Order: sequence, then structure tokens, then C-alpha cells
Amino acid sequence: MTQFGTWQPTVRGRLFYNWPRGACEEPLRFTSAGQLGSEPYDVVIVGAGVVGCALAYRLSMFDLRVLLVDRLHDVGEGTSKANSALIHSGYDAKPGTLESELLHEAEADWPDLAARLKIPLDPVGGIMMAVTDEQERQLEAAKKNAHANRVTDVRILSAAEIREREPNASPDVRGGLLVPGESLGDSFMASIAYAEIALANGVDILLGADIAGVELGQALHHLVTADGHRLPARRIVNAAGLGSRRLADGYGGGAFDINPRRGQFLLFDKSARSLVQHILLPVPTAHTKGVLVSPTIFGNLLAGPTAEDLPLDDPAATHTTVEGIGRIMEGGSRLVEGLARQPIIATYAGARCACSQGSYVIRYNDGAPGVVTLTGVRSTGLTASISLARHLIDGMQKELGLELSPDTAAIDARPESAWPGWWRRPFENGATNARADHGCVTCFCEVISEGEIRDALDSPLKPRTMDALKRRTRALTGRCQGFDCQVPLAEIVSGHTGIGIAQLTKNGPGSELVAPGQAEVPA
Amino acid sequence: MSIGQHFKVAIIGGGPAGIGAAVGLAKRGIGPVVLIERRAELGGTPMGYRKKPGGVPTFVEWTRGRMVFGEELAGRMVQRLAKTDTAIRLSTQVTKIVPAEKRLTLLGPEGVCELTADAVVLAAGAREQTPAEKGWLAGARTARVSFTRHVTGWLDNHGLLPARKPVVVGSDLIAFSAAAKLRAAGSDEPVMIDRRQRPSSGLFERLFFRRWTRPDWSGGVTAAEIMGDRAATGVQSSDGQEWPGDGVMVCGELVPNTELALLAGMAVELPSRQLQLARSQALSQPGWFAAGNVIGGFHGAQWCYFNGRRVARAVARFL
Repeated sequence: MTQFGTWQPTVRGRLFYNWPRGACEEPLRFTSAGQLGSEPYDVVIVGAGVVGCALAYRLSMFDLRVLLVDRLHDVGEGTSKANSALIHSGYDAKPGTLESELLHEAEADWPDLAARLKIPLDPVGGIMMAVTDEQERQLEAAKKNAHANRVTDVRILSAAEIREREPNASPDVRGGLLVPGESLGDSFMASIAYAEIALANGVDILLGADIAGVELGQALHHLVTADGHRLPARRIVNAAGLGSRRLADGYGGGAFDINPRRGQFLLFDKSARSLVQHILLPVPTAHTKGVLVSPTIFGNLLAGPTAEDLPLDDPAATHTTVEGIGRIMEGGSRLVEGLARQPIIATYAGARCACSQGSYVIRYNDGAPGVVTLTGVRSTGLTASISLARHLIDGMQKELGLELSPDTAAIDARPESAWPGWWRRPFENGATNARADHGCVTCFCEVISEGEIRDALDSPLKPRTMDALKRRTRALTGRCQGFDCQVPLAEIVSGHTGIGIAQLTKNGPGSELVAPGQAEVPA
Repeated sequence: MSIGQHFKVAIIGGGPAGIGAAVGLAKRGIGPVVLIERRAELGGTPMGYRKKPGGVPTFVEWTRGRMVFGEELAGRMVQRLAKTDTAIRLSTQVTKIVPAEKRLTLLGPEGVCELTADAVVLAAGAREQTPAEKGWLAGARTARVSFTRHVTGWLDNHGLLPARKPVVVGSDLIAFSAAAKLRAAGSDEPVMIDRRQRPSSGLFERLFFRRWTRPDWSGGVTAAEIMGDRAATGVQSSDGQEWPGDGVMVCGELVPNTELALLAGMAVELPSRQLQLARSQALSQPGWFAAGNVIGGFHGAQWCYFNGRRVARAVARFL
């Protein structure tokens, strides 16, 4: 019998938001390090992106005291949220690298992982499309590279074979490389699913806490938050992505440089989904992988990214530009005919963590014993998150003397009810427990009900921002971009949690939905 | 799923146009008619403009030369509807369409059900254009980038000011009404910017709103970015001009809600989303009609109501 609704497991971990009074319920609010217990943590993971969450999930299978901490107000809210959300086969990786190895391992993991963790996944496959003679000559090399990465199911397609599969492919298409192992994933749900299971298994999660410094000790270090709370840690994993350099400065970590590489994307409406059947990839140049055109797991069409290197801490690293949008449209139109006629519903940009010392830089006992630096996870973090977590745990056993004994009570799956409503509609799958509010639609574009919003609010990670709800439910993500549902959604959240509407935020303090410092005057 | 009832006419949308169509059909003795509204109340967009002391009256009833608030105007229309035998389904959304059979799948508080009709009137209204749809406005995706719908929602339902120092993007009647509402509620005089050289709102309309606002106008902005990290801190043009603020209101430039027509495979122009209409506002499938702002353009509540009445005549002829 299909159960619909939220997953409410026995939660053994503690969840806190470092938020001002009134911004979330008082029991969720972090006010002193004492709330986390007096015993030092065996491992503190700084950075709750997809990699940090995957590591927390894997560590939660063992009898360890683990804390996952992030400066943002949800998991997966940095680089992990704004990307192409593809699960890669690794066909185009540099053979022999750790990245190639991890992608190879992860590809075998994903179907089962997605099914167990209830992460939507759609194995549509990809086609690298050559649209010039020169690009066509590169296909053979791309195929060889794929084989060197142990991706052996790739196959060269003729122009006619591509047209048969992709009737809207550009008339310039000369040929292509079919890569069956490329899949559509849900980058939001990956971080959330990892973190929910970790939390259920006893990992503590602290959100909204910026780590401003590290006090190093002999056997015990302390992470110090920007507001002065000290978090005791026997081991520290720096998985802070774009923030990894600043954190590494705090413990004297070795040299590496981070540059945010901005990737802008265009999101088309669902009516454009039928334009392509596969993930259409350009032939990369020396400088960039180029603009791809892909369906999304949500039923939209996506084009992007750009690749623009920006200085660290540039606030524009997640801004879109009119010029960048134009370039994506131009690049996408080289692969797909009629793209420019499709209605765009949103543009977004993400900043990839590009490290000049290479990708997947891992250093054990970096600067101090028990400290692990992980950085340069630039573009394949979602795919490799699971194998990278295993790799890191192996490394921590060998290099940091981490001792592991399995936690026999640990769970390793989420139940059917954890599928998001947009993936398993409440009233369309024989669910027996759908409520009336699962039929009251709040987000008209994505057909997301009041009930799904309430279920998400009650889910283990207790999302309390509009963006966190958006990533779980898809409300606000449709063609109207919140025109119809923004205010009703805030009313539902406020009614369900007791947080005042004036205190509700898009993504944490400073992002209040209305001008800050007001009291509500109900109609 | 309950297999459905059959109606003479199904009307999708319970705003002024849908109500006008229902009233028009009732006057002709056509029934049974069902009106499907996805929100929990009837009246559509004007209903969101609550009557408030000191508030800005919009949806002006020009025919009688009186200024009224949206909810009064929509309220009167709802009262006229209540005198008919129209079946009303609130909080109910159309999720699937078989256009030739005029079969609609509905999702509502009772779950999923189907109904069929001999004719369908699409009166789904319109929404404001998003920044991405404008094509010339990019930048940050922050809090306090709002539509006029939000300005009225926060102010009229919660007494909350969306921004103290607003930057209004757009210059049509809706943009001026947003500026006036903000100003009347205590914001600073809004900055108003647009790609157009001159405001798209007419002189008479601008004069009407001068009682509340004289926005600081900048036209001819060809490319601009929303600034800010967590919340909007203004807009900056590509040539470096800055309009600082604490919220950006993206106003007007209505986009018709034609997604159901698109879902049903009707002729819709893309990317503009405009319906391709035949005579009498008929859609490309026989027995399907459109009424109100879903046909494109920007029309007031009264116009939409009478347009619904007019479409009812065409529906009656079809039947």
C-alpha cells in the first residue's frame, strides 16, 4: 500500500538553526554550544553541500559522534543547488585521476542509491553532438577517452541516427557520441536525503553557523563560530567548497587557490521538455565544456552553463547577466533547432569550486593532526558524492586513525512516503492516506498542494525558509515564479509553524520577504 | 477517481471574465454550467485589492465615474453570479484535458475527478511578467523581488510593507498602481525604471495616480541587473547607472495564462504565449472559447466581465 506524506522517523540526532529569536521555533534555535552535549565530536564536517551531506550519511552508519555544520540555512544551499543536476557516467573525465575513479564507482552505485534514498533519477542518456567537421573528427578521441574511463557502452552515431532519436537536433549536426550512462538527477533531494538519514542515525546538524576560526589543540580542536560558540572536535573535515580556503587559513592548511567559476543557466517551461529526448552535450573545447541542452528531472528544459572565472568572494558569482543569457541561447541553439521560440521561465547561476591545484584535492592532517581538507570538487560532486564519502572514510581510517564500529540501529533508506509529491502525486498512485489538503493546490504551475507544504515543514530537517521549501516541494519554481503562490505559501508556513510572516525569509536572516523590522497587522 | 458529471458548459476561471460568462449563459437559460476556480475564493485578481482606509482605489469603475476598490467591484460580480444556478468548484485545478471530448480532469479537496462539457470557456486571466521573461533584467535571485500581486498581498492582507525604498520595474497602469500603493502605505517615493523611453501607462492614468505618487522615472534601460546578496539592494544598468533600494517590484506587462490551452494542444504563439483566436474568441478546437485577459493585452475588470458576457453569446450560438 503506497503511503503518501512525509517521513517522520525516530530522529536520534539534534537539529539547530543559529537564528535570531522569532525566525524559527524556540526548540530549534541554537543559543549555546551546550545544546549539542558536552562530549567532543569524533568528526565535525564543515560544509553541508552534497559532499558534506554524503559524508555525514556514510559516517552515520558507524558508532561515532558527528556534527554537520554550515553557514547557510539549509543543506545543499551553496554550489550544490545551482547546477545541471546531471548524474555523470564519467566518460569525459581525465583518465587515471581520482575523479575518474570516483565517477566510475559512483555510476554503479546510483540506481540503487537513488531507489533506497528516494532521490528522483531518470536515466535518459546523453549524446555529444558534433556540429562542425572539426568536432566530428574529435568524436573518435572522445570515444577512446570514455573507454579509458571504463565507460564502454558509448557508441558513435551518424547524423541520421541522431535525427531519428532527436528530431529537433540542429540541421548542422554531423554525428555524435551516444553516452547511455548520463542521467538526470535531483541535486536538491540528494543533499536532503543524505542529511535526513544522517540526522535520523544520530548526526547532529547545525545550520546558519559560520565557522570563523579554528583553535588547534593536541588531541582536541575547537571550531569557533562567528558569534563565538566553540564546537569541540577530535577531527575536522573541511568540505566548505567555496569557503574552504578561508576555513583552511584558520588551521594553517597547505596552499591552494579557489576561484568561483560562474555557470549561468536558462530554464525553459515544461512545454519545451518534448524538444529533446536526451541530454545533448556539445563537443568541448580546450577552454570550456560548452553549453548543453538537457531535460530536467522536473520536466523542464535546461540550457547552460557558462564558465566565467571570478575572484573569490565576488558577490556576482551567483548573478546572471543579460550577456551571459544571450550566449547560452546562442550555444544551445547550435545544438537544438527552435530553442529560441521556447518560453524561458527562469535564469540562475551557480558558482563551481574551481581549484587551481586540480580537482578533488584531498589532504589529511593538513596543518594539524586530525584535519582533512577536501576542495576543488568542481563539477561532478553530485555524482561522486557517494564514492567520495567512502574514499574519505577509508582515508580517515588510514591517515587519521579513525576507528569504525557499525551502528547496528542505523537505517540506510528512506521509505516510500519520502518521495516528493511532484514525483509521486498524492492522488495518482493509489495512496490511501492523502488528505483533503493534498488536493488544495497552492502552487498552480507545478501543481503542489497545501498538504505537501505542511508535510515538508514536518519532515526531519524542518525546513524553515522559502528556498528550503522550494527545493523540497517545487512550489515557487514554475512559470509564474511565485506570482500566485508566494503570499499564500508564506501564510501556510506561518500558520503551521507559528513564525510571523514578517520574520519569514527566503534563505535566512537578511532575506526577509518584506521590509525588515515590522509587525504584522492582520486584515 | 469519480467518473464525472456532464455539463453544458465548463468555465475555467472565476474572475470577472469567468463570472461574466456564467452570468451571460444563465441569462440565456443555458445549463447546467460549472465554474472552476483554482483559488479558494471567487473574484480573481481584483479581489486581492482590499478596501482599506487611506488605501489606493484601483479597478476604477469608469462607467459611473466612481472610484472603487477591487474587492467591491469583484464582490458585486460574485453577487450577480450567486443569483444564477452555476455550479461552483473552488480550490479546484484543471490538471488534464482531452480537448476533442471536452473532458477535464480536476484536482480539488475531494481528490481527482473528471467532467465533460459541450463547450468550454477558458477565462484563466493573466499574470505579471517575470524578470527572466523580460530578457533585459538579470542579476541576483534575492528576497524582496516582488510582483504587484505580492505588494497587494502583503499590504492588504497583512499590513506589511514590502519595501521602504522600492525600485519599480515597469511603467504600465499596474506599475503605477503598485507605486501608489507603496507610497500610500508609507514607502519612500519609488524609483521607476523601464526599457521603454516613456512610461507605457497613459497620461490620464498617470494623472490619476499623481495623488499618491510621482515616481522618479528612468526610461530607456536596455540591460540591467538586480543587485543584492540576501535581499535586493536595487538595480544597476549595464552602463553603470544605479538605483539603490531595499526591494525591487517587477510590475505589469501581463502574460496570459495560456498553459491549459498549450496543454490541450491549442494554437498558442511562443514564446509570447498569446492564444491564436478565431472569430468570437474561439480557440483552435471547436467548442473552446477564451474570455478576459487570457486573450492577451491588459483589460480592466469591467471590460473582462463584459467580454465574458459577449463570449457567452458566442457559446450559445455554438450550442
